[in-house]
Amino acid sequence: MRRDALIVFILWVLLTVVGEAIVMAIDIYPPVAAVEAEHIDQAARTLFMLATPVFTFVVVVMLYSIWRFRARDESEEGPAVYIHQPFAVGWLVVTSALAALLFYNPGYVGWKFLQRDPTGDLVVQVVAAQWHWHVTYPQYDLTVTSKPIGFERMEENAELALPAGKRVKFEITSVDVIHSFWIPALRMKVDAVPGLVTTMYATVTEPGSYEEDAAFRVQCAELCGTGHPRMNMRVTVMEPEEFEKWVEEQKKMMEMGGGMEEEGDH
Amino acid sequence: MLPVIRGTIWAIVAFLIGAVLTAIVRAAMGLAPWAFGPVFTVGYFFGFTGWLLGVGVWDTWLREYLGMEPRPFKAEGWRRYFGFNTDHKVIGIQYGVTFVFMFLAAGLLAMLMRFELMRPGRDIMDFAEYNRIMSLHGFMMILVAVTAVPGMFGNYFVPLMIGAEDMAFPRMNALSYWIWPPAAFLLLLSPFFGGWDTGWTGYPPLAITNADGQLLYNLAFFTGGLSSIVGSVNFLTTIITMRAPGMTWGRVPIFVWSIFFTSVMSLTATQFVGVAMVMNLLDRIASTAFFDPVQGGVPLVYQHIFWFYSHPAVYVMILPSLGIMLEVLAHFSRKPLFAYRWAVAGFAGITALSFTVWAHHMFTSGMPEVLHVPFMATTEAISVPTGLIFLSALGTIWQGKLRFKTPMLFALGMLFNFLIGGLTGIFNSDLPVDMQLHDTFWVVSHFHYTILGGGIFGLFAGIYYWFPKMTGRMYDERLGRIHFWLMFVFFNLTFLPMAWLGLNGMNRRIGDYPPQLGGVNAFVSMMAFVLGASFLIFVYNMVVSWVRGHVAEANPWGVRTLEWATSSPPPEHNFPHVPEVLGGPYDYGVPGAVHARV
Repeated sequence: MRRDALIVFILWVLLTVVGEAIVMAIDIYPPVAAVEAEHIDQAARTLFMLATPVFTFVVVVMLYSIWRFRARDESEEGPAVYIHQPFAVGWLVVTSALAALLFYNPGYVGWKFLQRDPTGDLVVQVVAAQWHWHVTYPQYDLTVTSKPIGFERMEENAELALPAGKRVKFEITSVDVIHSFWIPALRMKVDAVPGLVTTMYATVTEPGSYEEDAAFRVQCAELCGTGHPRMNMRVTVMEPEEFEKWVEEQKKMMEMGGGMEEEGDH
Repeated sequence: MLPVIRGTIWAIVAFLIGAVLTAIVRAAMGLAPWAFGPVFTVGYFFGFTGWLLGVGVWDTWLREYLGMEPRPFKAEGWRRYFGFNTDHKVIGIQYGVTFVFMFLAAGLLAMLMRFELMRPGRDIMDFAEYNRIMSLHGFMMILVAVTAVPGMFGNYFVPLMIGAEDMAFPRMNALSYWIWPPAAFLLLLSPFFGGWDTGWTGYPPLAITNADGQLLYNLAFFTGGLSSIVGSVNFLTTIITMRAPGMTWGRVPIFVWSIFFTSVMSLTATQFVGVAMVMNLLDRIASTAFFDPVQGGVPLVYQHIFWFYSHPAVYVMILPSLGIMLEVLAHFSRKPLFAYRWAVAGFAGITALSFTVWAHHMFTSGMPEVLHVPFMATTEAISVPTGLIFLSALGTIWQGKLRFKTPMLFALGMLFNFLIGGLTGIFNSDLPVDMQLHDTFWVVSHFHYTILGGGIFGLFAGIYYWFPKMTGRMYDERLGRIHFWLMFVFFNLTFLPMAWLGLNGMNRRIGDYPPQLGGVNAFVSMMAFVLGASFLIFVYNMVVSWVRGHVAEANPWGVRTLEWATSSPPPEHNFPHVPEVLGGPYDYGVPGAVHARV
């Protein structure tokens, strides 16, 4: 009994060390384009690190029991152990402490962090409609509109540009059903709800584009009907000077009447 | 005449009466008489009533009420499954066959979805078809997960395990089953009315403005909920009042406890989803505008009401399977269930907290941010009572004498899968991380780990464990093991990569995704096809063994609970005399210990 427990303890420690090393070594996250995104990835890493010892403990006890405690003949019965009170109490204390810990960090701390600054240098107003994104930059008097034309023709679709280093406030609403405004590179989404304006704040960091990784896209993340998978557009984070140029180009295109003539097929 | 045929005829006649009456009233009001929504809805409730009357309510309650001699349904052989049979063992098999069949059908739909998702772009169906198939798959599987284990094993084994001769209200028990066929019929009918494309959650305003199939979803969900409520009243009453002498609360098998707490949730939460369905339906057919923002309604209200049921519902899906898991682990380890009282407290804690966590489905819904923190706290707190179930499971196998029969393999597999399901759920409960993961394939992975890897693995543990008792024949152990290993390995290979997909920007409920995710999706699809094929072995094993398997003894596993103390299958009233319970159900390793004298 003592010996079994000791072996399990050693295996658990070893496997946990290996597990933590794997969690720290491998990078399973897509590119990051905001301070908030870095924070959220860090929160996920913290959760992986907290989950690892729990996972390895259960797996080690299971595998060891399967290997060590198999019945050798049909009549064998195990010991009449109904409970081990100190172990059960210890289990309750440890699991409660773990729950409290991860509620505080990354949970509560992360919530505070996302709430920290309800302002934006750049305001981006987003209006969702089956199955378009109308993106307005009120400070520049510019609107771009996406088309549901699919991933095959993404390069022809509209672009949501964001200036690197700026804090962006998104104001989001919908005119028909519920949609969800998600930019995977920002690691955030919020629903576009008819009759409600929802907000999302992001301090954008480095340049990046859809051509680099599909995390740089707006994607509707709330089922909104037939065109749902195609309700997306490219996102490009660019240096502020380039952003100004981009705004000018878009305005010229708007004057020439580009943009809305082509509808997607479903 | 078989009651199902009479029920069908009465249903059709009653439907027509209801439909025509509605059309007459509408015409009198100066409206177009044959509007689909109101006519079908009223017709359905008439038809539903006609069905229940024809299938058995007339012969039992109503004849009695009118002072006539009731005509209880009596039949032998296969016919006994096609009427208002009040034997809890017949009802258990009715539920079992119906919902295993529904599980396989919904699984076929999943195969279609994985075929479409195997490559980026559009392959075999358009996006509208994908949405409808996905919605049907989701809803059918939800019904299976909520109903299969309590319906099949709750009905069959709760009375046996507590030493009762039947359920407390046998006729209500039959009613709870016969409520289901109209719901299933609506699902079959829905594709002819354009299906519905909102997933199983049916969020308005989309659910107010889409095709008429949505209405059938609303009615089917409402109908199924009715059955849950009726069934749970019966379980609670049975467990409270029908226990054999000596079956104190401290001697009740853990599976019975799990059904007890499941019933508490079903009885008190299901009304909310019924209300959500009716409100949405009225928005569609009667311009009530509860959720229609154009007329001043509030779409988020639906989500609150819906999840107030539907989060407890996920514990309705998992608790009975956890009960089976602990039951099987104790018996196949030949050791007392470790920390029995703590496990019961775990069920109680999960039940209590399940009512306080619903808005964690709404972290990105636009509800006030101030609500995020309390729901994060309650959600993370629910891991503590869930942890007590793991304490009990691990403590039970530790130092046991393990027997690796198929039920035990499924119980251990479930423990592993549910561990991953629980741990991935922590990420969703964490507000910052959920901002990214909500509504992605991470969530798809998470809930398939809990509901398929947990709930349905528990269902299969139960099927193999109790097959000899229910059919009187033994299944083929070798095929059972092959089924387990295929299902376990390919389940994990299918659903673990989905977590990565979600993390990397694949949202759920879509017929298309960024091309860079094509490789992993192709892998997932191929693994899913093998997972799907593994059920062929299961079906073959069940059918062949039921017809010509070896005849099973009364207690082929050599275990202690009461259902094994009677013949396989049990006689009509279960036990020759009322059993007398003398000790706990898990007293392995105690010389001379007796659970009950039969």
